[in-house]
Amino acid sequence: MSSVGSFKFLRPLCTLLFGVAVLLFFGLAYPHHLHFQEQNQLFLFDRNYAWEIVRLPGGVADLLGRFCTQFFLFAWVGALIIALLLSVVQLLTLRTVSWGRLYGLSFVPSFLLWLFLLDENALLGGVWAVLLTLLASWGFDRLPRGWMRRILLLFAIPVLYWIVGPICILFFLLQAPRPKRDAWYYGVFVLLAVMLVILSYYLPVPADRLWFGVHFHRYPTVIPILLWVAALSVFILTLVARTYHRWANASSRYVVSFLLVAISMGYLVWTSSNFKAEKVMQYDFMARHQQWNRILATINTQKPNNQIGVTVQNLALAKHGMLADRLFDYNQNGIAGLLPDVERDATSPLPTAEAFYQLGMIYVAQRTVFEAQEAILDFQKSARCYKRLAQTNLILGSYEVARKYLTALQKTLFYHDWAKETLPLLGDEEAIAKHPEYGHLRQSAYNEDFYFSDHVTPKMLEDLFFSNTENRLAFDYLRAYYLLTGDRESYTRLLLHTSIKP
Amino acid sequence: MKKILYALLSLLLFSACAETFNDASQEAALPSIYPDYLGVTIPVNIAPLCFSLTDEEALRIDAVVSDTHGHRLHCQGKESVDFSLDGWRKLLGQNCGDSLSITVSAKYADGWHTYRPFSIYVSPDSIDYGICYRLIEPGYEVWSKMGIYERNLSSFDEHPLIENTQFEGCVNCHSFNRGNPADMSLHIRGLHGATLLRHNGGPISAYNTRTDQTLGFCVYPYWHPSGRYIAYSTNATSQLFHSADSNRIEVFDTASDLQVYDIDKNELLLSSLVKQDSVYETFPVFSADGRSLFFCAARALPEGSHQLDSIYYDLCRIDFNPETGKFGSRIDTLVYASAQHKSVSFPRPSYDGQFLCYTLSDYGQFSIWHHEADLYLLDLTTGQSFPMAKANSEDTESFHNWSSNSRWLVFSSRRDDGLFTRPYFCHVDTRGVVTKAFMLPQRSPRRFYRERFLSFNVPEFVTAPVRFNSHKASRLINADTRTPFGVRKIEEVKP
Repeated sequence: MSSVGSFKFLRPLCTLLFGVAVLLFFGLAYPHHLHFQEQNQLFLFDRNYAWEIVRLPGGVADLLGRFCTQFFLFAWVGALIIALLLSVVQLLTLRTVSWGRLYGLSFVPSFLLWLFLLDENALLGGVWAVLLTLLASWGFDRLPRGWMRRILLLFAIPVLYWIVGPICILFFLLQAPRPKRDAWYYGVFVLLAVMLVILSYYLPVPADRLWFGVHFHRYPTVIPILLWVAALSVFILTLVARTYHRWANASSRYVVSFLLVAISMGYLVWTSSNFKAEKVMQYDFMARHQQWNRILATINTQKPNNQIGVTVQNLALAKHGMLADRLFDYNQNGIAGLLPDVERDATSPLPTAEAFYQLGMIYVAQRTVFEAQEAILDFQKSARCYKRLAQTNLILGSYEVARKYLTALQKTLFYHDWAKETLPLLGDEEAIAKHPEYGHLRQSAYNEDFYFSDHVTPKMLEDLFFSNTENRLAFDYLRAYYLLTGDRESYTRLLLHTSIKP
Repeated sequence: MKKILYALLSLLLFSACAETFNDASQEAALPSIYPDYLGVTIPVNIAPLCFSLTDEEALRIDAVVSDTHGHRLHCQGKESVDFSLDGWRKLLGQNCGDSLSITVSAKYADGWHTYRPFSIYVSPDSIDYGICYRLIEPGYEVWSKMGIYERNLSSFDEHPLIENTQFEGCVNCHSFNRGNPADMSLHIRGLHGATLLRHNGGPISAYNTRTDQTLGFCVYPYWHPSGRYIAYSTNATSQLFHSADSNRIEVFDTASDLQVYDIDKNELLLSSLVKQDSVYETFPVFSADGRSLFFCAARALPEGSHQLDSIYYDLCRIDFNPETGKFGSRIDTLVYASAQHKSVSFPRPSYDGQFLCYTLSDYGQFSIWHHEADLYLLDLTTGQSFPMAKANSEDTESFHNWSSNSRWLVFSSRRDDGLFTRPYFCHVDTRGVVTKAFMLPQRSPRRFYRERFLSFNVPEFVTAPVRFNSHKASRLINADTRTPFGVRKIEEVKP
């Protein structure tokens, strides 16, 4: 087989290998980062929702990113989507220039995007922005040269800026070496800058976000440096490939460069991965899906030593009626490991809210979930939170409010059926009373009103248990509370005043 | 020409989609529509009252609005009726001070049903250009996206004045001088906290309202009719949450005082009479003539006490001399609510000096979270108070404000679903007769209100478009340069 022939054969194989590596990484090593992404957004099949996104620069890429992120509910599907996107980016990068022996460098932008996606707050819209820009450049290359192309270039400025945001600068950079760099070409950049300055007076976003991207990262003030490095690397690497064109084509050992890039960048990806966060997210995921057995299996393999892990561990133990008995077999964090104080972020309150909900502290759970959703930094809503808020409002008898959440969830892909099944329950007291979850939680709820804040007090647990002494979970939590605080007197009194056998 | 083309196009579309029916069964009942516009009084310049049937099983809805002169406006839709803006305006203009009859028909699987017509009264008292409100999720302590928005009441146009996507923080307490947007006060909270002021249509300035002689930042604002002063409260506010009560949240003050800001001299005027440690003073508002300051006052709780249901605010009044900026020496109690174990909040005097509207709840000052809260009207000439029965509902009625001609009241109500506040309007005539309230019209109201997960917070009338440069304002906010408020202690006027 000639070297050219094997090159043609091996190129798709390398891309395939890369795609499989991405798939396996996100599917096996990083699945809960994908779940985390999914729970921080609510993708609606709704005109107004779409309009609110696409009306801002980069909106189309953002919308596509959000559309794909909804599939992250199923980690393997999410991993496949990312694998496909990164592979397409590599293939489009490959087509920008003749790489020859430097073929492996065509994988660098995709690896950089992979690195970008290791951050749980990096948004998929950024990857789409790079992909669409490369696609536009590839399509533009196919146009015949001449005035028509120049005029189209002029139109491409606002259109591409609106579709992908400021990442479109890559498009103009890639077009640079083709025509002569004349005044027309530089004029395009001046026009782009003028357009951004004008836009900054009309769009409801700070001017710096128009320059660096409106919604590529969940933190509005963060400049997604890795995304920019990935995007600009395409241009820089094509320059390198062009500069060393003669040398690059002098050898047929192109696979070596692929292996070098794959090993070095792969190593970088692996060492930059945050597996600690992945573990925490796993506990949150298991609590969300009420996988109590799986939680027990996990904590028996490796005892959690972080706040969320301990909270979830204790909830799972309580659900199995083992909390008080096996409390000290595992790491504890004092009483903060049972029901931690509610913090002002979008992640840490959710497992605690799950515990509140399971205990029957519905108002507390509702407040905690609501606050967590409000704390999502890019002002998105959460399908997970909407679902829980629909449930808490249903249990509390706020049927019209529950209807609002359910109606919204009916516009989603994966929560639609659940919402449709739940809607008939609204106002149907008998059906709710018979419902295994809602009926039970209604019975477990507080009888007497009191004020609460961010801190759970023993009195809250005492009131909860004595509102319904059949509430086994409250009993276990209360016992655990006394054990953790060393309050033997209250512990003994509790056992004397209840028929529940520990 | 353009209008004719649009009209022809609309006619074409309408005739293509509208169904005709002659065999509708006649129902004796009135239609059940959303929003409930049956028998309401509306201003002549209000946007079309589009509505749906409350019964979502209906396949189509048809409405004919007619007057006694033979004019009629017809509309048919799948989910709601959406009257043409021009046709609606024309019909209302032709029937100023008269009633309109609305006949509603609905199509079900078994055919068309026509209901008993209902009427709406077109008041000759016009309403102001628009309202401004904050849109925010009805939450607890953490906020997400929010902003101050302006809505034209004669159309459906809504646009943001400023949103917190432009800076890091929260925005609240927008206030205008009798609806005149030339005088405007707006608070920014959070990392870039500031109070933005615009006076006499001049440029916006950013102030730091916290001084070492007041409790903290200025909070509830109210403009003096002269435009020279703004009354502010300063409040040390806390929140607690209910564990088993439909009133989810309790917002309360652990201390609060009043002061008046002199814009000309950049000074807060302090008086010991409205700055007592043993009293919570809040919600200051100037009387129509600017010579009195109304406010709410409650006996302070002992430190650390959480007996929140024992805080009762009365409605009080103190003299204010706008020439000297001095306060009177005596505080009068106008509504002694605490005697009935009730609490007054949000006093708002009408600009003609006749009435004062306030909210009455079981306790406390943050009545928006109290389902029992209702609106009351105090006749300032007789001193008599009475509930605004036709405007009130089973659920919360809270913040409110008068139109510049003092004939319309906008207020926030939770009657729709018990959580999300919506703006309602009612007419109050010179005798204090209050009409049934109607909800802020929307083009497709059921869809609109169901899909909007935001409360309309602090609805305020504006007499003209606000023309607020949000980019300039956000640059000011992000720049963090603030003009500090000065302070002047005022001696009370001896009687």
